[in-house]
Amino acid sequence: MDLILDAITKTFPPRGGNAEVTAVDTISLEIAEGELVTLLGPSGCGKTTTLRLIAGFEFPTAGRILLDGEEINTRPPHKRDMAMVFQSYAIFPHLNVFENIAYGLNVRRMPKAQIEERVARVMALVRLSGYEKRAPNQLSGGQQQRVALARALVMEPKVLLMDEPLSNLDAKLREQMRTEIRHIQQSLGITSVYVTHDQIEAMTLSDRVVVMNSGRIEQVGSPVEVYRRPQTRFVADFIGRANFVAGTVCGRENGMLVVDVFGQPLKLAGQEPHPVGAAVTLIVRPEMIQVRTEGGTYRGIVRRAAYLGDAIDYDIEVAGQLLTTSETNPLQTEVYAEGTSVGVSFYEACVHVLGSA
Amino acid sequence: MTLKLSFMDHWRRRYREFAIIAQDPVLWMSLLFCAIFLFIFVFYPILRTASNGFFTSEGQFSLEHFARYFDSYFGPLYRRVFTNTLLMGGLAATVGTLVGFIFAYTVVRCNPPGKGLIHTLALVPTVSPPFAIALSTVLLFGRNGLITHRWLGMTFPQGSNDIYGMDGLVFVQTITFFSAAYLILRAMLERLDPSMEEAAESMGANRFHIFRTVTLPLLIPGLAGAFLLLFVESLADLGNPLFISGNVTVLATQIFLAVAGEYDYQKASTLSLVLLIPTLIVFLLQRYYVTRRSYVSVTGKPSGGHVVEKEPWIRWPFVVVTYLVCALIILLYLAIIYGSFCRTWGVDFSLTLEWWRLMLTRGIEAILDTTFLSLLATPFAVLIGMIIAFLVVRKQFSGKGALDFVSNLGGAVPGTILGIGFVLAFSTPPMIVVVLLYVVLALFLGCTLFHEKRQQLIVLLLGSAVGIGLSFLDDILGLTGLYDLLGGAVVAAGLYLWLKLGQARGRIWVGIGAYLLAYNLVEFVAMPIATLSRSLPRGFWSNAIFQLADHIKVLFQLPPTLMTIVLIFAGVLLIQPEKGRVRLLLATFILAVTAALSFTAMPLTLVGTPFIILMAYAVRSLPASVRSGVAALQQIDPAIEEASNSLGADTQYTFRKITLPLILPALLAGMIFSFTRHMTSVSAIIFLVSARWRIVTAAIMSEWEQGGISIAAAYSTTIILFVLIAIGGLYFVTNRMLRSREYGVRDVSPSIE
Repeated sequence: MDLILDAITKTFPPRGGNAEVTAVDTISLEIAEGELVTLLGPSGCGKTTTLRLIAGFEFPTAGRILLDGEEINTRPPHKRDMAMVFQSYAIFPHLNVFENIAYGLNVRRMPKAQIEERVARVMALVRLSGYEKRAPNQLSGGQQQRVALARALVMEPKVLLMDEPLSNLDAKLREQMRTEIRHIQQSLGITSVYVTHDQIEAMTLSDRVVVMNSGRIEQVGSPVEVYRRPQTRFVADFIGRANFVAGTVCGRENGMLVVDVFGQPLKLAGQEPHPVGAAVTLIVRPEMIQVRTEGGTYRGIVRRAAYLGDAIDYDIEVAGQLLTTSETNPLQTEVYAEGTSVGVSFYEACVHVLGSA
Repeated sequence: MTLKLSFMDHWRRRYREFAIIAQDPVLWMSLLFCAIFLFIFVFYPILRTASNGFFTSEGQFSLEHFARYFDSYFGPLYRRVFTNTLLMGGLAATVGTLVGFIFAYTVVRCNPPGKGLIHTLALVPTVSPPFAIALSTVLLFGRNGLITHRWLGMTFPQGSNDIYGMDGLVFVQTITFFSAAYLILRAMLERLDPSMEEAAESMGANRFHIFRTVTLPLLIPGLAGAFLLLFVESLADLGNPLFISGNVTVLATQIFLAVAGEYDYQKASTLSLVLLIPTLIVFLLQRYYVTRRSYVSVTGKPSGGHVVEKEPWIRWPFVVVTYLVCALIILLYLAIIYGSFCRTWGVDFSLTLEWWRLMLTRGIEAILDTTFLSLLATPFAVLIGMIIAFLVVRKQFSGKGALDFVSNLGGAVPGTILGIGFVLAFSTPPMIVVVLLYVVLALFLGCTLFHEKRQQLIVLLLGSAVGIGLSFLDDILGLTGLYDLLGGAVVAAGLYLWLKLGQARGRIWVGIGAYLLAYNLVEFVAMPIATLSRSLPRGFWSNAIFQLADHIKVLFQLPPTLMTIVLIFAGVLLIQPEKGRVRLLLATFILAVTAALSFTAMPLTLVGTPFIILMAYAVRSLPASVRSGVAALQQIDPAIEEASNSLGADTQYTFRKITLPLILPALLAGMIFSFTRHMTSVSAIIFLVSARWRIVTAAIMSEWEQGGISIAAAYSTTIILFVLIAIGGLYFVTNRMLRSREYGVRDVSPSIE
């Protein structure tokens, strides 16, 4: 049950004096059976449009959408055998919880006994049993969210689509629901596409993350890949925090890349073979920088220090550039005062080198 | 080259939009149905009126009546009528807007005792027949008026200034139409953020300065909107000028007299076009200018804190004027009721039931016909309105703007223009429309059911040929015989599907066939009822029962052309699941039946039938339904409908199970508003009534013309009573419904804009 987006583009016709808008620009993506893929990106990057194209609420201007090898470009939503969970939940306000969840099965004219059985099963799954007769407005936000999820799950759809389903919940509940969604998705093995702008959601939920920016895909990869080996500056910047440090390739040794950074040669393993002499950018996450009183590859001056409890953040000026660092070692309890001279070194095994293309 | 490419792209995109809609046959059908309805019953009649002025009754091009505006014989009169009309509109709109503003300011800002009552009284004129105020004004202030003659002892020798004339007319129209201004301005004042005025006050501005520099500029769009609306309503008004304008003639009455007195449709059409132009300009101005320049409506919901007028020297004048106008309104309506019980108005003011008795025997026919047709048109108009609202709010397709525009047009143009258009369009068969309709329906059937060119050709050609052949049988069999033949054939086909092929759908075919057969069979029900009524002594029961027979027939004797629309739509839905040869056969068959019905006898000659009145009603009340539907739909998160879609429900299922229950309050409000509009409409149906189908408002006019002012008052009271009952019913139902459910669209007040 795989879903393929083959170079799809969606342009919205000009309206009210505005120019034509290309919301989705030649996107290609293959989603394997049982996989949970997240579309991650800032607002307006086309992730929701992509999801709506998959759902059939919009039809692509160009390209093909294939479900099980069959083109479904202009197939209306109700014939796609997908189910969607909406950001606003979109629970039918005039139906109670049971009727809401049973809605899709009633559309299919399933026998009553079977409907009751399946609804009961899915309600147990999302832990709503006992709430059958409740009206939607008698439910809390988290419960409404679970009704919306159950309503989609009960359909046993080929593809489950979720459009920022957790964005209206408070932080605690969001964390809890996140684990629950992942657990349910794994145990049912439902192919899922999940849209979010929250990187933590994307990282914790997905098999693969699709990072999007202004209608295009920036990178597709596992959470580890997109964090550790971002392919573009945008991805590095959007997911987590990153320092961008300029360097020049000055040689290769035993498969390691030697890069001149702030006048010091760094040996970096597992990088792409950038040519000697090329200008490159090092992506250095704040937690990949070690700060010590003595020693260090570089000397720097603390410009800002913030004690966060689980970490200590610094802005350290090294050779005229401000580097953000994050000290997470719990044994390191000393907070350097602003203006202190410190030793700075990178965990070289973690640094990722980006060609300057 | 690029230009050509983008042009092609443009059309390809348009085509794709419809291809997408066409994937859902019910949605496609609804769109087509609305388009057909609007084309035949709004666009075409108005076009006929507009163009007819250029052609003589022999069909020759002529500018004769336009030229009369400039010649020296007719010119002065024609031009005076025109200036009178504008003067009337301008004065009535100015005074009406002023009174509306005073009411709105009093209710919103002055916190007067009895606020609810003031609000109700302000709306009473909207639910009474438009000339009710003229009637009561004559009763109270006329030459034999209760106040002028009996209490003040005034006499009116020839040539003295009496109530008849421009002054009386403006007075009457002000009271009749100010409600609309009141509603617009009240909504605006309520949404006016008081903090803006408070900000000005905190900067040290005095009350008058604030009003002049802050409040008034913010209200300008509302005031302009109210003025324009009242101007158009005043121009379109026929009832009041006819009875109270005395020697002053305005365009509406001139048109009426051209038809009713001279039977000169070319003259009437010419004058209609002259009247149509200012109306259309104002309509467009309102639609595309005033509504977009509103600063206030943007802020949305009424804000919590209202400023209450504290200065007594501002507050009391507003309150007092409002109370005085309220007292006047009460007085005017009491006068109507009193008038209906009064023996001889002006001479003998003693009470009698004579007029009510007379109305209930002689007039029961008109009352029953009006109520029946109004009720019947109501669900029809509201359903179309809701569908149009749904399409406009939720769907994307080219021509959406046109659909929206035309659906509003029918209610916006003066009723006389629509009425004349109906007479012109439907007294002889409008063959262009008939052929066009058939072509559209046939193509719809062919393209929805078949995708191969060959199959489409077979069905279209064979079906049309057989059908047109059958329609010639009409000469031998007559229309009734043809109905029997076609109905029988459909029943037979249905029975075959049901019994031989074991398909449950066959039963629906049988039902459709039975409905065709009922066209004749209903006579067997109607006849005995009619006979029964004749056997009774002439009077209330005899007349009432006789009408019942007619009403039953209306339900089953749909004009053939309208029947074809039902047939094709039902046919497409029923044939959709069929396959192979059965599909081909059934499609050809249903098209043949459609063709036979389309071209039989005198298609679409609706004049004299109840259907022309039904359609006129529906066209007139459509804008209100569309508006309340649009307002309701905009309050519903589109994701709710999408959720239903994504759970496997098509548009039609979603509309029935999700959208409709959620907009039910708006639907009911639309129904009541439509019913009211139907019951009280005059100008649009005055030319459409026939001996067989009488309408109360027309009856009031003819009674009044013959001096039966008291019986006219009795009729008017009856209409007001019926409408009030309907409104009471609405509030009862919606209150119960909204109390038991905590969701949905709450604002059900029928907005008049």
